Amino acid sequence: MRHDYVMRRLLLFVPTLLGASLLIFILLRVVPGDIAEILVYQTGSESSAIQQKQVQQIRAELGLDKPVVLQYVDWMRDALAGDLGQSYVQRRPVAEILKERLPRSLELAVLTIVLAVVWAIPLGVVSAVRQNSWVDYLARMLSISGLSLPIFFTGVLILYCLVRFFRWLPPLEFVEFWRDPAENLKQLIWPALAQAWYISAPIARLTRSQMLEVIRQDYVRTARAKGLAERAVVYRHALRNSLLPVVTFVGWWGGRLLGGLVIVEIIFSVPGMGSALAQAVAQRDYPTVQAMVFVMALIFLSLNLLVDLAYGWLDPRIGYS
Amino acid sequence: MRALASSLRCFGARQPLGAVGAAIVAVLVATAVFAPALAPHGPKEAVFTPYLAPSPEFPFGTDHLGRDQLSRVIWGARLSLYVGLVSVVFGVTLGGLWGVVTGYFGGAGDNASQRIVDVLMALPPIILALSLMAALGQSMNNVVLALAILLAPTAARTLRALALSIKESPFVEAARAVGCSHWRVIVLHVLPNTLAAYIVLLTVNIAYAIVVEASLSFLGLGAPPDEPSWGAMLNAGAQAIEAAPWMFLFPGLAISLTVLGLNLVGDAIRDLTDPRLRGGLG
Repeated sequence: MRHDYVMRRLLLFVPTLLGASLLIFILLRVVPGDIAEILVYQTGSESSAIQQKQVQQIRAELGLDKPVVLQYVDWMRDALAGDLGQSYVQRRPVAEILKERLPRSLELAVLTIVLAVVWAIPLGVVSAVRQNSWVDYLARMLSISGLSLPIFFTGVLILYCLVRFFRWLPPLEFVEFWRDPAENLKQLIWPALAQAWYISAPIARLTRSQMLEVIRQDYVRTARAKGLAERAVVYRHALRNSLLPVVTFVGWWGGRLLGGLVIVEIIFSVPGMGSALAQAVAQRDYPTVQAMVFVMALIFLSLNLLVDLAYGWLDPRIGYS
Repeated sequence: MRALASSLRCFGARQPLGAVGAAIVAVLVATAVFAPALAPHGPKEAVFTPYLAPSPEFPFGTDHLGRDQLSRVIWGARLSLYVGLVSVVFGVTLGGLWGVVTGYFGGAGDNASQRIVDVLMALPPIILALSLMAALGQSMNNVVLALAILLAPTAARTLRALALSIKESPFVEAARAVGCSHWRVIVLHVLPNTLAAYIVLLTVNIAYAIVVEASLSFLGLGAPPDEPSWGAMLNAGAQAIEAAPWMFLFPGLAISLTVLGLNLVGDAIRDLTDPRLRGGLG
């Protein structure tokens, strides 16, 4: 049974990934104005016969004159062979850009998740254990305010305060973790905090509602009845059993986060994948967008799959059918 | 009237945070509806000195083009609410109907539709929205359309799961046994039973849609630049935050309060419709 489930999930994995990349591929190609026009008309002059010829020449060079489906097949074939193509704008291999940008965004994402979990789970627990007390209201207000303050508001405010009161300046040059861990963390901690503040809200809320449900179960009553200390009841019996959906949610968010970092990366000038992707969409740099979306969807789907499988392992009551 | 007042009081006593949220939403709706009467100036009127600090004449100051910031924030309420409401009603309704119908009939059609939902949900929402906006072009209607496309898959998935369980219930079997057609069963028996979930989806997603619209405008790919979108105002404000912090502060507070109010109301509705969360520790 379990084997079948894993197989079925794996079989669905590839078509979903292909579908997602095809969708972005088509979307980008219905965009009015392609890269050839942008390259040639950038001076803002009137279009002339020579320029039109240039546009056609560039299109032919890049293979943009072929039917979209053929272009996609070409791209896929090269990608499978490990060649992600050349960035139109940066004029270097997309793989190189990815290798540079992906680790930064991954690091930011991991830092964000860790900060969010460390803050949100205790908040959710306290809120549930003291339901409807002032502590609960305060904790709920805190987490709901995290959800209500958009990242582009809090992010800029944090940046402004840092600059104004601490003379902190957004780095001109990004320092990689392996070159100088302390400097690197100093650069990433603020964007991670801003983003964590936002995503901690749903985690705290989910922890709270799960705890509320579990704390009314018979085995929790039994634990209390046999005279266990409240701490042990809450942490060993209730919290452990409420964390499952929280784990799923955090895994899901983790996959989602890579794409969600766009705004925070732009505000704090972190040269990660999100900011590169937003820029590439604006510049119609198809190969870059294509490869980045593909990688993001791949990570998202893999994490989803892992979380699903881990779920059955963590909770043996769940059967896969 | 008295019954309404007393049920409002009852709601306020049981859900104090929800009542606060409802009050905020009521102010927002009033601001949006009466924007032309409330705003002292037009949202696109650029007739004053740029970067004026808040004063009795311009309580929220003026922006970089010399437009009255208070008027733009007020008109922004209308824009946000319009985008939030229309895209959510459109996206959640169509997505939900799609999910219910495909889930009810099942088979290959259902399977295919679930795969489409998988694909849409595999893409990071902001990236999908950015690509959609780039493809469709910048206009208010396209923002609404992009948001609806973003929201529909979740609604389809949630309501489909619900339809699957309703389909198996005895009253559906009974309705089929007395000769109701499938469509009659869907309209009269399945859809009404998804109503509570549908309403929760609507309330939860309006806040989300408003934030995504503002994010898109903040990135410069949302509403056309001269529209009074809070996101676009925040973007302009962020550029001038040293010289004119009011340009950033007021639209930011407006959107935060709006989203807070909507979230509080959504929470209260969810608590009320979920009987497991009622009562004390037991």
